[in-house]
Amino acid sequence: MKQLTFLEREETGAKKYTAAAGSPLYIPKDRRPHILELRDNSKAQQLLRSIDAAHVTPEEKLFLAYAAQRHTVFNYELIADYYAHATPEMQRLMEESALVIVDIEDAIERGYVRLCESIRRLHMEEVARDA
Amino acid sequence: MRKFAAFILTHGRPDNVVTYKTLRACGYTGDVFFIVDNEDATVDRYRANFGAKRVIVFDKKAHADKIDEANNFDNRNVIVHARNASFDIAESLGVTHFVQLDDDYHFFGFRGNDGAKTIRRMDAVFDEVLDFLDSTPTLSVAFAQGGDSIGGFSGVKMKRKAMNSFFCRTDRRFTFLGSINEDVNTYVVEGTRGGIFFTFTGLQLNQPMTQTNDGGMTDIYLKHGTYFKSFTSVLFCPSSVRVAMMGINFPRMHHTIDWRATCPKIVPHHIRRLDA
Repeated sequence: MKQLTFLEREETGAKKYTAAAGSPLYIPKDRRPHILELRDNSKAQQLLRSIDAAHVTPEEKLFLAYAAQRHTVFNYELIADYYAHATPEMQRLMEESALVIVDIEDAIERGYVRLCESIRRLHMEEVARDA
Repeated sequence: MRKFAAFILTHGRPDNVVTYKTLRACGYTGDVFFIVDNEDATVDRYRANFGAKRVIVFDKKAHADKIDEANNFDNRNVIVHARNASFDIAESLGVTHFVQLDDDYHFFGFRGNDGAKTIRRMDAVFDEVLDFLDSTPTLSVAFAQGGDSIGGFSGVKMKRKAMNSFFCRTDRRFTFLGSINEDVNTYVVEGTRGGIFFTFTGLQLNQPMTQTNDGGMTDIYLKHGTYFKSFTSVLFCPSSVRVAMMGINFPRMHHTIDWRATCPKIVPHHIRRLDA
């Protein structure tokens, strides 16, 4: 059952923006995910428990603990959803860590649309020439 | 001003560089260079066939020593070193943009819902792809492969990967990783860190089915099987790559990528509150 909300929905701009068909852009959803949803570290935790119980040197444990984080699965869709609702400072830090890529001045979207149009034009010219 | 060249990465096939003939047949009039390693016994034959100025020989062992090959087999019969050498070669030639091509492409075409059609004005097509590269922060963009449409063409789109035909800017250097499956290793590792790779599915190239053409990478695939190839990418990114069976008639191991866990999403600028 759909949940009732008492507060107005947060404005994310998602409704105002539609990416071109086939565009590589992701339009964040209205729902702000919980921060714990953004990654799945169950495999890393499992490894950390094994490391903790092992009889290796502290330096080796530290190394293995860092390596275990390679198994943390980040959900970049939810991360982008979260970014859309985040504070400016959090957004800045997320960008610095490449958790999202901001399409500055819509360069990628515009470039993609232009490429589609120009390749389609060239394609149609070839078709017309062979007709 | 843009100075572009096509690099054909080739090994042991001086009399069978199919890509060169295909490029010219598709109307490409620009420079072509043949990137050959110094362990190739057929270098002189390449020079005889294409002219010494067009054949660029690089030190394969030197490049092998610079990267993580992801194994200790000391087998350099792989393409990754030519890929990495291309950036140095482009610099030395004064080339600002280049495309890396394998040597066995027999088709370049437009791709739409009604099938693929051969390109006859490749210069214009390359210009458009390079314009896209220049106007975006993309590291590399590629044509789709015929195999991408097995099961049906899913429309013109940008996919977050690049294989085979890497269009690059010399000043946007990146390093290909792993001695095998280097394209996947690279777009996955760079992708997790925010590097942007694209495949534009409105353009397509075709090459022979894997492991059917003598020379090139065929030997190493036959020797080690595709499990070894695919698992290399798991080593580089265990959180989002796994191996699984692919194909029905000729089943083989292949990498499977969880894209949602691999590439940070590209979001529209207006969502950024920093600029508000």
